[in-house]
Amino acid sequence: MTNNSLSETCDEIIFSNFFKKHAKSLRNFLFYKYGNKDQADDLVQEAFIKLWQNCASVPIEKAKSYLYTIANNSSLNEIKHQKVVLQYENNFTGLDKTNENPEYILEEKQFKEKLLNAIENLNETQRVAFLMHRIDGKKYSEIAEELNISVKAVEKRIHLALVELRKTIDFK
Amino acid sequence: MMEKNYNLSKWLNNELTEAELAEFKADPDFEKYEKIKNFSAQLKVADLDEAKMLDNILSHKKETAKVIPLYKNWMFRVAAVLVLVLGITFAVQNFSTETQYASNGKRTSFLLPDNSEVVLNAGSEIEYKKWNWKNNRNLELQGEAYFKVAKGQKFEVKTSLGKVTVLGTQFDVKARKNRFDITCFEGRVKVNYKDKEIILTHGQSVTFENGNQINTTATVQKPEWLENKIAFSKEKLPNIIDEIQRQYDVTISIKSGYSNELFTGKIPTDNLDIALQIIATTYNLESKKIDANTIIFEKK
Repeated sequence: MTNNSLSETCDEIIFSNFFKKHAKSLRNFLFYKYGNKDQADDLVQEAFIKLWQNCASVPIEKAKSYLYTIANNSSLNEIKHQKVVLQYENNFTGLDKTNENPEYILEEKQFKEKLLNAIENLNETQRVAFLMHRIDGKKYSEIAEELNISVKAVEKRIHLALVELRKTIDFK
Repeated sequence: MMEKNYNLSKWLNNELTEAELAEFKADPDFEKYEKIKNFSAQLKVADLDEAKMLDNILSHKKETAKVIPLYKNWMFRVAAVLVLVLGITFAVQNFSTETQYASNGKRTSFLLPDNSEVVLNAGSEIEYKKWNWKNNRNLELQGEAYFKVAKGQKFEVKTSLGKVTVLGTQFDVKARKNRFDITCFEGRVKVNYKDKEIILTHGQSVTFENGNQINTTATVQKPEWLENKIAFSKEKLPNIIDEIQRQYDVTISIKSGYSNELFTGKIPTDNLDIALQIIATTYNLESKKIDANTIIFEKK
């Protein structure tokens, strides 16, 4: 901090750390929502540019909600919704890696596909909350803050997502 | 049980009590949920090239440190509005034309910005601008006024008939219908009438009527009307009637013929009956009051 009258947000080191902490989960959030990775990347970059340009008027404590507000607002009209295409960790083949029974391996492979499919078909709010928990490992309270809803509402969305996924997988 | 209270979300977050968990494990769907939980934990999304993006972001210029722009501050706004209002008031007061007016039957006296005195006779109007008065002493007069001018720059009185430029101090200007009377009581004034220009010194008086010039001398120190008299010098009856109408704010009509004799003399401005009597006697007429404000002259 060279100048106390300026917001900490303007300090390059503080800003960079803040960016590293939040950029990916902001991008992921937008991706879960719209399924369009390139546009999610662009939106994240735009939101951080706005934050950087206005760093003097945005204290670092408010920066996160500033970002999510910008990202949410700017995304409403511009983004084309696409299917949310996810991957599994590269080395993940199934739960029991020692089991080499071909039938078992096939079953696990089928389940993986079914799950991806079921997630794609979740409604947007349930999918976003569920994936923020499963992929980004966020606490319910964090998800609530970022989506600007109550923790109870997050629990409801995740609960309903699980019920929906189980039904979809069962059906197929 | 698991469908209530969104307990699945509690289970996913490892918040269930042992009893609740045991109960859930007995549920026929438990295995499927367990599988969803485990598989979904292995999901990932494509990485983000953070370093490149950060470079991009930091290459944008920070907006200059406008902590709180002045115009966004409400105090500033209030102040700005005040300045604007005061400015407009000042401009209106100084740049706009000031008008002084004496209606029929009334007189108005006032001071100009340089403390020059003006007395407006009944039924007269003066317009001037306060702005830069010191260097630009111009007035427009309709009717009659007496001026006692403070020393300073040129002082000009414009009328529809002609212009009087003050070189000295005290003078009277009367511009009614076609008759332009100027009397200088002190100092010197310059009078322009059509293409004529004459200079009056104290005690001199000039009258222009329909292009004719009549020079007279003033025998008094101040215009008579200031002492509640009107002095006429070789004046026609209609002009005298007009003057009485203005002074008393009455309507006078003449119902019969009258002579073209010119009147020289004084008429009071504070006693209508005497004023009417003087005219009646001089012109051999009889005055009748129809009501408080209407008078008729008839042949005797």
